[in-house]
Amino acid sequence: MAFNILVADDSETMRAVVKKTVEMSGVPIGTFHEAANGKEALAILENNWVDVILSDINMPEMGGMDLLRAVAASEDYKRIPLIFITTESSEARMEEAKKLGVAGYIKKPFVPETIKTILYEVLARAYEHRLAADMPPQGGESGDMDF
Amino acid sequence: MDTKLRQIIYETLSEVFETMYFTFLEPLFETPAQEELAAADGYYEASITFQGGKSGCLRFYLPQSLARGITVNFLGVDEVDVNEAQILDTVKETANMAVGSLLGRIDPDGTMKLGLPQSRVASAFSSADLLAKPGLFLFNTEHGLLWVVYEEGA
Repeated sequence: MAFNILVADDSETMRAVVKKTVEMSGVPIGTFHEAANGKEALAILENNWVDVILSDINMPEMGGMDLLRAVAASEDYKRIPLIFITTESSEARMEEAKKLGVAGYIKKPFVPETIKTILYEVLARAYEHRLAADMPPQGGESGDMDF
Repeated sequence: MDTKLRQIIYETLSEVFETMYFTFLEPLFETPAQEELAAADGYYEASITFQGGKSGCLRFYLPQSLARGITVNFLGVDEVDVNEAQILDTVKETANMAVGSLLGRIDPDGTMKLGLPQSRVASAFSSADLLAKPGLFLFNTEHGLLWVVYEEGA
């Protein structure tokens, strides 16, 4: 089994970089969905099973905060952990996101290791049983995973 | 512009370029010689506004070789595989990351809001016009000069 991942960011190049980073992290990926804003992300959620959302905050049409509110308010989606990957790093914004139930916060600019660490922490919290079954053994291609 | 804000802008831009693009910025505090000011291959421009306690805009002017270079490094692909849409997107994201990080440092309470970044080919780039601006930051890079203009109240 693998994880279906949804990335919401209005920058196509940023989505490509996040995708590459996640692929390199060793997390088993099923389908990698891409959305350019919160509205597109919700449309994807409507028709697809998603295990984790990685989202920017500052996006046109519907930003990440509104996406998080919509996910948290939905009986169908509130189980899905949402991680922000964003430039918006003020303490007030992080506090607001925490109150809304954000699962993790990655500040741009980031190093790949940060995405890997936080993604593993979040997935481990939400799907420990699946990770234990799916992950390649320590010392394999995915490198050192400490969670 | 006060010295502390100037220093924070230098540090923030350096962090973005080094972390995301493996490109080192050398701040220039004096105007370079005339022959160094002209980029043979033209420029891309990115801009982003912010509003709140302080309002303004940051504009970035990147020589095409620098814009292409950071896009190649960002995507981890060969130079021949990079197209103009990806370059414009990377330049736009640079403005977003730089100013988003900057606000995180100067506005921990989150009272200031970022606008949406824009990018385009800078068809009317003029080094003389930019040199006259008080909020100008100049950086030397391996791909030519990076010009950044901080406009308060824009």
